[in-house]
Amino acid sequence: MNINTVTVLGANGTMGCNISGIFASFGNAKVYMVSRSMEKAEAAVAKAAQSVKAEAVESNLIPCDYSMLEKCVGESDLIFESVAETFDAKESIIAKIAPFIKKKTLIATGTSGLSITRLAEMLPEELRPYFFGMHFFNPPYSLTLCEIIPSLYTEHKVIEYIKCYAAQTLVRTVVEIRDDAAFLGNRIGFQFINEALQYAERYKDSGGIDYIDAILGQFTGRNMAPINTADFVGLDVSKAVVDNIYQNTDDYAHETFIFPEYCCRLVREGKLGRKTGQGLYKSIKREDGRRITYVYDIESGEYRDKMTYSFPFSIKMIEHLKNGEYKRAMDVLTSNHSTEAQICLSFLIKYVLYSITAAKLVSDSAHAADHVMAAGFGWAPPLSIIDALGGKYVFMKLAKERLDPALIAKINVEETMAGIPAASTYDFRRYFKGKK
Amino acid sequence: MNTNKVYVLGGAQTDFERNWSKEGKNVIALLREVISDGCYDASLTYAQIEQLNKENRIGFFVGNFIAELYANQGHLGALLTEVHPAFYGVPSARYEAACASGSVALDAAITKIRSGDYDVAIVVGWEMMKTVSSKVGGDYLGRAAYYDKEGKGIDFPFPKLFGRLADAYIDRYGEEDRYMSALASIAEINYENAKRNPNAQTRKWFMSREQANMRDTETNMLVGGKLAVSDCSQVTDGAAMVVLCSEKYKEESGLKGPTPVVKGFGHRVAPMQFSKKLEESRDMDYILPWTRQTVVDAYCRAGVTVNDIDFFETHDCFTSSEYAAISAFGITEPGKEYEAVEDGVIAFDGTKPINPSGGLIGCGHPVGASGVRMFLDLYKQIAHKAGDYQLIKADTGCMLNIGGSATTNYVFVMGRE
Repeated sequence: MNINTVTVLGANGTMGCNISGIFASFGNAKVYMVSRSMEKAEAAVAKAAQSVKAEAVESNLIPCDYSMLEKCVGESDLIFESVAETFDAKESIIAKIAPFIKKKTLIATGTSGLSITRLAEMLPEELRPYFFGMHFFNPPYSLTLCEIIPSLYTEHKVIEYIKCYAAQTLVRTVVEIRDDAAFLGNRIGFQFINEALQYAERYKDSGGIDYIDAILGQFTGRNMAPINTADFVGLDVSKAVVDNIYQNTDDYAHETFIFPEYCCRLVREGKLGRKTGQGLYKSIKREDGRRITYVYDIESGEYRDKMTYSFPFSIKMIEHLKNGEYKRAMDVLTSNHSTEAQICLSFLIKYVLYSITAAKLVSDSAHAADHVMAAGFGWAPPLSIIDALGGKYVFMKLAKERLDPALIAKINVEETMAGIPAASTYDFRRYFKGKK
Repeated sequence: MNTNKVYVLGGAQTDFERNWSKEGKNVIALLREVISDGCYDASLTYAQIEQLNKENRIGFFVGNFIAELYANQGHLGALLTEVHPAFYGVPSARYEAACASGSVALDAAITKIRSGDYDVAIVVGWEMMKTVSSKVGGDYLGRAAYYDKEGKGIDFPFPKLFGRLADAYIDRYGEEDRYMSALASIAEINYENAKRNPNAQTRKWFMSREQANMRDTETNMLVGGKLAVSDCSQVTDGAAMVVLCSEKYKEESGLKGPTPVVKGFGHRVAPMQFSKKLEESRDMDYILPWTRQTVVDAYCRAGVTVNDIDFFETHDCFTSSEYAAISAFGITEPGKEYEAVEDGVIAFDGTKPINPSGGLIGCGHPVGASGVRMFLDLYKQIAHKAGDYQLIKADTGCMLNIGGSATTNYVFVMGRE
């Protein structure tokens, strides 16, 4: 097998475009960028080259429209489908290309959560062994995660080959994931994000959205606070992800995937987040050019000024993190018993436990959870948080002491932690920022 | 001259991909991290440091170019006392020679061990450069040239100076296309090598020979004469640290097996101004004769020739400086450097690999750290601790670290006993 020619379907979309850039650059493949119109395809070519910061790859990128499918698909070693995220849209494109696919051509879907096996069944039987999920994160040039998902029909050596190709040639962080709702990265990430959204409602009298974001800020091992992340990703997308997980999975954290009512309301009102100018937050440019950020007040349904919260625990943690004193920062977190510190610590503990649980359900190693969260979200990898908190024993003790007993009864900490690697392969230090 | 042997016990570097300002972390965080990692690697504890210090047998040497501007901090030797109380009382000072600051700190440390004054020396090179915009940073770096004449009021003075080095090569030897194409290959090799290095700034970036050869485009703008972005190393935040020791300490601590040893050094200073360099070398064999002389001095002190060197780490602040280093090392005669590039001699699997780490172009260039980072990479290769970028044959290595426009030149040769 050799991947010299790739067809990307839906190449004018954000993901299709950026992924075309990855195949054309690191993969040095000729990429047919199939788009709705030639005009859109041509614009996508320039954007794809810019996304990998290399005009030289433009010579590898060929603009196409759907009238050229026969030639593109017939010539390709790999077909990458990146059309709209519905079974109907996928079915229609699969029906269009199926007649032109040579046997043994690799066929990948870029879906971020639809069932790979169900999609495979839309293909003629003889093509199913070569079909698999290949889930990139946006933007792929800086987020290197690539989840590879076989269907029930995928041939083992196809998966082995594509994993190797993605890791060695495309310089991706590769994990193989079983075909389950939202795969692994989004399942862990959106469990955290959605529970933060739920907590915002629960603590709406303390401030709600910006209050929870202040408790789970960059100093807790991420580049952006979780609710702000949902606003950035878009509430429509966030809803689709958590609804999919809620409907198709059933683990101890099931209830944390219920999308809160106030968020549904915002979606109905078209307040989807950054991309529509308002959502959970709203940013307005004043006449003097300065930006001010407002936040959605869950109780009143109005936007109000974002507050500057000052928690003794976070002030101290940030001070220690600034100086590179990670142990002292973690000691502050574990020894402070304020409501805010309790929420913060419990979120970190739950994040670790759920990551391990989900990784056990859909992958072969707890390390997979580290890879997806580091390379797909830029969050502190869960196993590295165990290291940061003082190791497995200290972590388990903390979990039992500090989580709600009802939750602990559901999780079974001993069982969850059994067989967990002695340490993460990631260094936690870079992830805990000396910032709010 | 006293000739005590100088061993290298280990060390560490920070991940040069990191932006410590974005992480909200200060200089102390940077130093604390690299020193604790380096001491761990070298099996040196803070308790041992305290004991060695009671006996006045340990010193600390800091390489840094210009923290006064980038980080509002001077007195960098004393600053270590903020990192750990074990450093109270330890003799420590900062050494500066622009981008060769790391090497001048190493030289001071090596000298103190060779003379028998100390038995253990810790050397840290560091720079935090992402604290300011690239334009302001470019102006700060102009202080490594003769600022009044070569830096002041000029945007990005250094790419322009090394662009003049490229011009000088083309003027003297012709074959512009072949020369520029060799520079593109040098960029490609460094980016490619960096892919194997888990601490390299560019390990996830894309670069190809085609892209490096497409200069004067939106994604590869010209920055100095004929040189484009792909010809430049990029500034970053970072620190590198090594621990050196005497034979006495090595025996006391019961270290068994071969330990990498410093075999020789060279240190020469060329005229500060680039135009004076060119004027001086007009009728000489080498365009940068003092760089060549530094290599010759180091080979001579080490009792080796180029044939004995298995690999090199060089100061590719720009592709044109790596190109000049090829003949300075003696791999080819001057004017024929492109042969070593075209024939794959300097590639990772070549007979004389240069920058298996990725060099400055691949790893990133936190100026005060780079000299120590190269020295650490010699150590890693020789001690077979380079992981994915380990060379098969790496018994003897040589590094060239330059400051300014090849003004301060430092060479070290490291090998096995």
